[in-house]
Amino acid sequence: MGDLGQILVGGITTGSLYALFLLGVLIVFQVSKSINFAYGQVGMIAAFSAWFLYSEHGLPVPLALGVGALLAVIVNSAIDYAAIRRIPEGRPGLDLVVTLGIFLLITAVMQQLIDANAHTFVSLGADSRAELGGVVVSLNDGIVVGLTVTIIVGAYLLLNRTSLGTSLRASAEDAGIAQAAGVNVRALRTATWAAAGVIAAIVAVLVASRLSVDAFYMTPFLIKAFIAGMIGGLDRFWLPLSVAVALGVYESLAVFILGASAGTPAVFLLIIVVLALVPKRFVNERNEVRA
Amino acid sequence: MSRTATHETVAPAVRTEGLTVRYGAFQALSDVTVSLPPGQISGLIGPNGAGKTTLLNAISGFTSIAEGSVHVGHADLTALDARRRALAGVVRGFQTVRLLDRESVLTNVLIGTERLPQPSALAQFFGLPSQWRAVRRDAAAAAEVLDLLGLTRQAHRRVDELPFASRRLVEVARVLVSSPSVILLDEPAAGLDQEGRQELASVLTRVHHNHPSTMVVVEHDVDLVKSLCSYVIALDSGAFLRDGTPAEVFGDRQVQLAYFGRAAGADA
Amino acid sequence: MTDATITRPRRSAQPPATGRGAGARRTLTRVAVFAVIAAVPPLLFDDYWVFMSAQVVAFAVATLGLDILYGRTGQMSLAHASFMGVGAYTTYIVSSYGHGPAVQLGAVVVVALLAALVVAVPTLRLSGLRLALVTLAFGELLAWAIRETTDLTGGTQGASVDPIVIGAWDSSEPLHAYLIALVPAAIATLLAAHLGRTQLGRRMLAVRDTELAAESVGVAVARTKITAFLISAVYAGVAGWLYAAIVGFIAPPDFDLFASVYLFVAVVIGGAGTVLGAWLGAAYIVLVPELFTLAGQPNLYPIVGGALLAVVALLVPDGIVGLGRGLWRRIRGARGGQEGSR
Repeated sequence: MGDLGQILVGGITTGSLYALFLLGVLIVFQVSKSINFAYGQVGMIAAFSAWFLYSEHGLPVPLALGVGALLAVIVNSAIDYAAIRRIPEGRPGLDLVVTLGIFLLITAVMQQLIDANAHTFVSLGADSRAELGGVVVSLNDGIVVGLTVTIIVGAYLLLNRTSLGTSLRASAEDAGIAQAAGVNVRALRTATWAAAGVIAAIVAVLVASRLSVDAFYMTPFLIKAFIAGMIGGLDRFWLPLSVAVALGVYESLAVFILGASAGTPAVFLLIIVVLALVPKRFVNERNEVRA
Repeated sequence: MSRTATHETVAPAVRTEGLTVRYGAFQALSDVTVSLPPGQISGLIGPNGAGKTTLLNAISGFTSIAEGSVHVGHADLTALDARRRALAGVVRGFQTVRLLDRESVLTNVLIGTERLPQPSALAQFFGLPSQWRAVRRDAAAAAEVLDLLGLTRQAHRRVDELPFASRRLVEVARVLVSSPSVILLDEPAAGLDQEGRQELASVLTRVHHNHPSTMVVVEHDVDLVKSLCSYVIALDSGAFLRDGTPAEVFGDRQVQLAYFGRAAGADA
Repeated sequence: MTDATITRPRRSAQPPATGRGAGARRTLTRVAVFAVIAAVPPLLFDDYWVFMSAQVVAFAVATLGLDILYGRTGQMSLAHASFMGVGAYTTYIVSSYGHGPAVQLGAVVVVALLAALVVAVPTLRLSGLRLALVTLAFGELLAWAIRETTDLTGGTQGASVDPIVIGAWDSSEPLHAYLIALVPAAIATLLAAHLGRTQLGRRMLAVRDTELAAESVGVAVARTKITAFLISAVYAGVAGWLYAAIVGFIAPPDFDLFASVYLFVAVVIGGAGTVLGAWLGAAYIVLVPELFTLAGQPNLYPIVGGALLAVVALLVPDGIVGLGRGLWRRIRGARGGQEGSR
């Protein structure tokens, strides 16, 4: 039972990271109706440059993390401002193509500016462990789950209990009508991209603290978060986030039962099976306007 | 003269029974039972929000129906999706012109030949003889409809280079090219000038003579409806209001109230 | 209804096609130009550049396939290089059992089709976005499969592939490799060009531009997407087969996510939706990194590639071919406007 408990803790922690990351994808998708393929690399910028600043240039770690997060906000907002907004109407799917280019660009630039190797990141409590009922839990696990729950609940309350949230939901529903009703859609849109930048930075730093940091490490996270969003639906809130957590647990279980290398095929099998079985209406997120 | 007979046998009647369509809490159509006479051009009129487009969507399978049924001839099409209804002969145009913007007029019209029996994907891909027969047949059909609509000279132009009126015609041509038995057109004359409207009306009349069909045209222009249609159905607020000959329907006080906000008689 | 007045206004409208003779002449011209350009490398280049040209030919088959999927059908695959990998590794395994090119090619086509069916059927009845994400996962899966089967595939270390030998022809000779590759590439090009004249090709365009209109005339949208994906996967598989035979060595990084993204860059820069654009893209993807290396700046290539993809997709959606067409139209000035879009 202790083993299983350990697996669950690991799975829930990883799943929380997927969920938090997916939250950033969701808010951007709902307000801007676009997918940012470079989103993982935005987080990577934060963590990788933070590492560079504190380890190569001796900046205090908190300051380095702050600068990294600021960079992520700037880059993410710039992606919206310089690229996504300029996509001509009637070319759906171009958001993916354009951000694919940005994905490549960011990866190459960061490799060029820093390097292509993996580096250990500050542990952020990953090595202070405690045993609870036969299960080893690290301080980092606590931070991850705590932050995820706080931010997601915070985002939910913001969206559903404040007037800002109402404006946001109105813009997500129909930007034209929201605009007419006096909502500053452009400002809101910029705010969501900036907020998503912060979220990407937080997740990327947490992931780096548990694994290591290089120019590529966020891509598997991006894929998993997208998969969870795809299964749960990008226009919903709790369902995709729960799927993200469940995906983390599922992956850990697959690794536990089938061995260390079973994670990737297990996840692939899951999406294929889920997409093949789930009724079409349930998983359709981009309903074209009829007529 | 034998055409009148074929009218009746080829073009089926279109019937809806108790058709109800909901978008969330909003009821776009409530319990609409209408019957479109076979082989005739019917006008579908009503003020904005009356449910005209929704009715076309429901008949062509582009919206999900909460209650009721759609029948064409003796067949119940309610369970079929839009594609199967098209293959069964129900083809529509859209209010917002939907074309392959970066392609030529000819390509846009040829896509409409999908309803004709096409060779298998493999036969097409490898250019087998069946493919060449289909190419000749489709080219002939396209040439005929382009000629009819006066688009022959523009056949190789990209549609996004054409003026709006021509783009409308291209969409109409796409609908007509496969000679469907039921044709649904959603404001085909919108955005055309007076001359263009008259021309469209005469083209549609001519098409209707050549290829008998049950045609439904959503239209605001009373004169156009009168000159084009032999039958009119009026909707208001998602409900059936009146049907009959153009004279009957436009003479109806309720229709006048709904449509013009006043009864014409009160003015006169 | 006065039926007496009916006259059939069918006065044998001249067919809107540019006339059969003109069409055939244009096709002949294109084939001739293709042949002349294809003759340049063996006549003028040294062995090394003939070797590079052979790679361009192999990659052209891949970009033609991706163009059918993305340029014409509007669906994104982030695993096109992975399907090249499927072809390359199938070739490696089949040839290691001593089978010749015909068996290799057959196996490549079958395996690529099967893999594509698994990816496409569940996803493509849904949105294109899902295809993009599932293909992303498929790339991971392939990398995993190669990593986990070192005995069979050589694992992360890569594997040496036997050259294609047909009689006196041996693909380890650059010139032979080039000429061997040219045959399937020419067939692939002809089929891709011909696709534009078929209803299948038009279905794809309709699915790309307006699914609603496609459905309204009876096009099976999901089936069209799946067909496009299957064709593109077979093209990629054949490209992988050629690539393995020409280069003689394959390794996982040749077929990873970045390789897929570069193929995408190629199609978009060349001009999505055109056969010529796919060839230009293939030339770009093989020759430009080489030029950067010659210039002593190999690290600039990915930076330039990323920036180009974003900028071209935003500002020049029809790529080099689109730019050329625009220029051509301007030159022809007022007289223009007769040319079809393909």
